[in-house]
Amino acid sequence: MIELKNLSKKYGNLLAVDTLNLRVSKGEIFGFIGPNGAGKTTTINMMGGVLAPTSGAVMICGINMADQPEHAKRKIGFIPDRAYLYEKLTGMEFLKFIADLYDVDEDRFLKKSQEKLDMFFLSDRSNELIESYSHGMKQRLVMAAALLHDPQVIVVDEPMVGLDPLAIKMVKDHFKHLADEGVTIFMSTHTLKVAEDICDKIGIIHKGTLIATGTYEDLRRNVHAEGADLEQIFIRLTEP
Amino acid sequence: MKDIVTLLRPRIFSFKNKGLFKNDRGRRVKLFLFGTIGICFWGGIFATSLRVLIYFKEISELGDILAYKLLSMILLTFFSLLIFSSILTSISKLYLSRDLSLVHSMPVSSFKIFIARSIESTLDSSWMVIVYTLPIFMSYGIVYQAGFFFYWDMIMVILSLVIIASSTSVILVVLVVNFVPASRMRNMSIFFGLCFFLILFFAVRFLQPERLVDPEVFSTALVYLKSLKTPAPPYLPSTWACDSLKAALSGHIQHGMFHTALSWTWAGVMVFMAIIIADAVYFKGLSKAHTAHVRLFRNRFSGIHFRGLLPGPVGAFIFKEIRTFFRDQTQWSQLFLIAALVVLYLYNFNALPLEKAPIKTVYLQNLLSFLNMGLAGFVLTAITARFAYPAVSIEREAFWLVKSVPITLRRYLWIKFFIYFLPLLILTEILIIATNILLKVTPFMMALSTATIFFLVPGVVAMGIGFGAAYPDFKADNPAQTVTSFGGILFMMVCAGYIGAVIFLEAGPVYNIFMADIKERGLTVFEWTWVTGSFFLVFVLSIAAIIIPMKFGEKRLSELKV
Repeated sequence: MIELKNLSKKYGNLLAVDTLNLRVSKGEIFGFIGPNGAGKTTTINMMGGVLAPTSGAVMICGINMADQPEHAKRKIGFIPDRAYLYEKLTGMEFLKFIADLYDVDEDRFLKKSQEKLDMFFLSDRSNELIESYSHGMKQRLVMAAALLHDPQVIVVDEPMVGLDPLAIKMVKDHFKHLADEGVTIFMSTHTLKVAEDICDKIGIIHKGTLIATGTYEDLRRNVHAEGADLEQIFIRLTEP
Repeated sequence: MKDIVTLLRPRIFSFKNKGLFKNDRGRRVKLFLFGTIGICFWGGIFATSLRVLIYFKEISELGDILAYKLLSMILLTFFSLLIFSSILTSISKLYLSRDLSLVHSMPVSSFKIFIARSIESTLDSSWMVIVYTLPIFMSYGIVYQAGFFFYWDMIMVILSLVIIASSTSVILVVLVVNFVPASRMRNMSIFFGLCFFLILFFAVRFLQPERLVDPEVFSTALVYLKSLKTPAPPYLPSTWACDSLKAALSGHIQHGMFHTALSWTWAGVMVFMAIIIADAVYFKGLSKAHTAHVRLFRNRFSGIHFRGLLPGPVGAFIFKEIRTFFRDQTQWSQLFLIAALVVLYLYNFNALPLEKAPIKTVYLQNLLSFLNMGLAGFVLTAITARFAYPAVSIEREAFWLVKSVPITLRRYLWIKFFIYFLPLLILTEILIIATNILLKVTPFMMALSTATIFFLVPGVVAMGIGFGAAYPDFKADNPAQTVTSFGGILFMMVCAGYIGAVIFLEAGPVYNIFMADIKERGLTVFEWTWVTGSFFLVFVLSIAAIIIPMKFGEKRLSELKV
């Protein structure tokens, strides 16, 4: 479903992502963790087609992002960490804008938008301007928008930031439900507990290089620490 | 096409929603204020254009030549303004807008995003230029009693020029972004600022507008006429526009149609080229623009040596402000523009043909010097509007820090005041002293204007800081543009009133002192009372101009919920 082949990104002289090779299968939830500035957001932006890689390829459902960006993006629900929202649009107008870009027809939009607004507890505020929303509400609206077109792949950067405990639980449950239905989820997070709870596989990126990948058990074995939690594994792998 | 319309929709909805959810009364007041100013300005341009063209029309033979020469110069300026405005707008729309990540993550090809952004950029960069040049072109139609074709042609010609300017700018920006290291994207405004300065400087030098009203510099009338009739460069779109309008004015419809068609053909070619180039390189350039910023020049100023001289919070704010200013190289282009403004200002005074004026030179020199105080005051207002007015808004989302640190808002605003007061005082004094030297004014006028400016600057700067604090915009993409907001316009109007009042109060006494000096007599008791009273009022007004806006700003800012 998702394949990163020798993916690299250079910013001037800084190598932000170095020859990343990764494969995430259908219905899998992949947690992407790493210290600040490790290259997580850069990788996610390249996967979302927002940033062109310096070299290498991003394949989404077998489609090369560089060759057929529109086809590839149609398969993705992209949720950035600090999404820009049009403050002068209402929540509903924003959803309609996104739906139009994904060619969601009117009937499906009406059904889906109401379903997502209910799911993310936004129904009663959907006709208010986004500028009046709290940070958490904006985050929930972005998620609702990303799920409108029933994506086969979800690429999400720090999904839980700004959400209240109820919303976090709802998002976790929903991601698990989507994965059960065959949706592939690639998410970066600093909340190791979330990664531990819902991810089937975890990748740890450090200074642009993928230093470890596998299931929770694989990682434990990797650092020879039976019984260690993800935080201990993470610290052991990334501390200077 | 559907995708392009959809991409434009947030802008349309945002515009529509602007008035829907806000306090309607406040909006109406602002609309009324801006509307009145806009209409007055528009009317002023219309009246002046009509007056000038009617005057030209009265001069047989030479009048038409002058009117057409003026039309050619206006169109060239119109086109240059459109290009410059479009360059700045397209950089922002195509590469710096905050919603770019969102739209580029959607399943829409980048060339469609490029087209939607270019349409927005074209509209944003040109509407004001069009609105305020329309009265000039309309004046031509009225004075030359042109038929319907002229007005139709005028619209077509303006639209084609707008499209050509916008496509040219967009092509330039898209290409430059790909060749200039992208991490220096923001620094490009320095490059464009410098270009604009050079264009402006050379344009003024080459046009030599003072020669048009001074036939004496030409050896014969024939040479003068020849110089006026010199055709503009044939490859410039503004020349095609000028030829088309000239033909339309004189009723040569076919001729006019030909030049308009020429202009539209080129507009079509440029749009086509822009789309092809953008399809090839726009996304590549955008990816580069997302990279970390690298500083163009590393300035070594740290201010550590001076820190000990100032108390903790004061020093902290002062050095934060100075460092932020010099490290944000987008600010530097503004410095180039100020340099251009100063050079042109001084050049204009240097080029004044005083000795040819029918009024005695000594009167004229001192009259100009007096009026120059007002002019320098307006230049000061413009610079204050650009730098001091956004000084509070520039804190942006970090303003919570100002509210949370152990420093009062009053102290914070006074720190801001002094940061801008000293440089602006030096700049305005340089302007006034240099122009006085060029005008060879009397020592009295030199002393008077230096002292007046010394009192004007703190008042204007305090108004900038005060009104900026009273009407801050912490969410603005570019805080420098907050001056076009309600608070900014209010600041400029109050400043104009203040400067006007000072000039008005000083005019009478200065005339009396000056005449007494020329006639070598003493002042009468009445004149002494008038002089003392007026200068005392100027002093009181200046103190009030410092204190009231600062208190107003402090009060409004303290009431603001952050």
